[in-house]
Amino acid sequence: MAIKFNRVDFKYKGDDKKGYLALSNISLSIQGEGEFITLIGETGSGKTTLVQHMNALLVANSGSVDIYGIKVEKQAVKKKKIRLNPIRKKVGLVFQFPEYQLFEETVLKDITFGPKNFGVPEAEAIETAQRVIRIVGLDESYLDRSPFNLSGGEKKRVSIAGILAMEPDILILDEPTSGLDPMGRNALLKVFYDIHEKLNKTVIIITHDMNTVYEYAKRVLVMRDSYLVYDGDPVDLFTTKNIENWNLDVPDILNLMHRMEQDLGITLTSRPRSAAALTNALEEVLR
Amino acid sequence: MRIIEIDNVSFHYKAGTPVLENVNLNVDKGEWITILGHNGSGKSTLSKLLVGLLRAKQGTIRVANVELSETTVYDIRKKIGIVFQNPDNQFVGVTVRDDIAFGLENLQVPRGEMIERIEQYAQKVDMADFLNKEPHNLSGGQKQRVAIAGILAMETDIIIFDEATSMLDPKGRNTILSMMKQLNDEGVTVINITHDMKESLYGDRIVVLKEGRILKDDTTKVVLADHKTLEKSSLEMLLPLRVLRALEAKKVDNEKVRSYLWQLSLTG
Repeated sequence: MAIKFNRVDFKYKGDDKKGYLALSNISLSIQGEGEFITLIGETGSGKTTLVQHMNALLVANSGSVDIYGIKVEKQAVKKKKIRLNPIRKKVGLVFQFPEYQLFEETVLKDITFGPKNFGVPEAEAIETAQRVIRIVGLDESYLDRSPFNLSGGEKKRVSIAGILAMEPDILILDEPTSGLDPMGRNALLKVFYDIHEKLNKTVIIITHDMNTVYEYAKRVLVMRDSYLVYDGDPVDLFTTKNIENWNLDVPDILNLMHRMEQDLGITLTSRPRSAAALTNALEEVLR
Repeated sequence: MRIIEIDNVSFHYKAGTPVLENVNLNVDKGEWITILGHNGSGKSTLSKLLVGLLRAKQGTIRVANVELSETTVYDIRKKIGIVFQNPDNQFVGVTVRDDIAFGLENLQVPRGEMIERIEQYAQKVDMADFLNKEPHNLSGGQKQRVAIAGILAMETDIIIFDEATSMLDPKGRNTILSMMKQLNDEGVTVINITHDMKESLYGDRIVVLKEGRILKDDTTKVVLADHKTLEKSSLEMLLPLRVLRALEAKKVDNEKVRSYLWQLSLTG
């Protein structure tokens, strides 16, 4: 297991003495390759806090998080017994508004900043930049451009390229598609899926979009009031659990299937998870 | 009755790179119009021009028969309010009460009336129990409701929602949408800027912006079925219509399914 949470509690210090409990008794394991996970739950349920424990940006108050064999614990971190660099290299985290964090004069400098910080020689860092800019769906001409003149979607892609340049095994993205137009969103989701599929990396996405969950995720985590209330298959989640209790919505595809079943008596033999698959399934029944 | 008249408006931040070009748009009182467009199409710039946060480089904007200018902008802001995308970026008050009061203080509303209006509109958005709370402890949906109360308290006739639901969780989004619906039923003119195709079903009319120009301005029904326009603008058809078109392409023809999907794509 690449990451293992063992009964983790985390509390933010508040204005009052009580503080604010953001994680309660979380135990879960994540593999270092081949996973495609979506993390969902209402605002304030602890999603961002959870992922910030995955690369030791935050440290549990009680319990522990094992990240690639390094046990991240409060005391050990305090006494600086733990080197965090190797963790940050293995687990890349893209914040919710990564575009605010671009700061160099050129895209190239922004992407090579991380690797050079980790001691990668300049020439090698540039080669990596040329490679990762294509992975995120931009061409090499972008490397010479200023990050500030790019569109929102392009800035997001550049920041993701910057994290990919560190060659992490696990890529975590906090609401990467919020605010993007439909095609921009679809294109970016395809980028994440390719990173997962072609490079065999583990991808974890925080989202409020149930369609993303249903169409892409192999595994879904649901947070509710600081607790992890579901860890499993997305189809099971939406078909067998009382998702309204967790303030989740029904994905469009599932909703359409249910309504056609109810109103037209059409029962499909499979459980399609994309518009194309749904069309094929309908074709089968209607022919 | 016309409440907004945008006549040949253009805007640029940098000469030579227009953000909006020759935009003409009229909005009637009580209408709900949806503005769709790709990222960078000029949607948010248009909303900032309407509330006088930016000034048009060319053309005129009239709100309730008053031409927007440096001298009229403060009067016009009494008629038109805006709720922004990020609920965290629009709070000025220490408490919810202060926050709703902010706009009223600017309008120099007398204290007694101010207290009344704050109570009244906090109740309307169902946040009366939160008046003494600090805004940053609220959820995203609650924050947007407070922002709406602040605008309503100024008794504006028009509210622009500039991607106001895009950062909210499903529950927060649904509360805000039903609130918008209620306000519109009561006569408030709603301009909803969004990327969510489903939200456009609430309104009668859709305006599609592309690269700073109006590409299409028609009824919701017509625009949602206009595959070419939507695709050109980085948008997509709603799922039932996408499935319907895909079935047609496969030459699967079932009248019952066809009319059902068609109906669904117009009602959600």
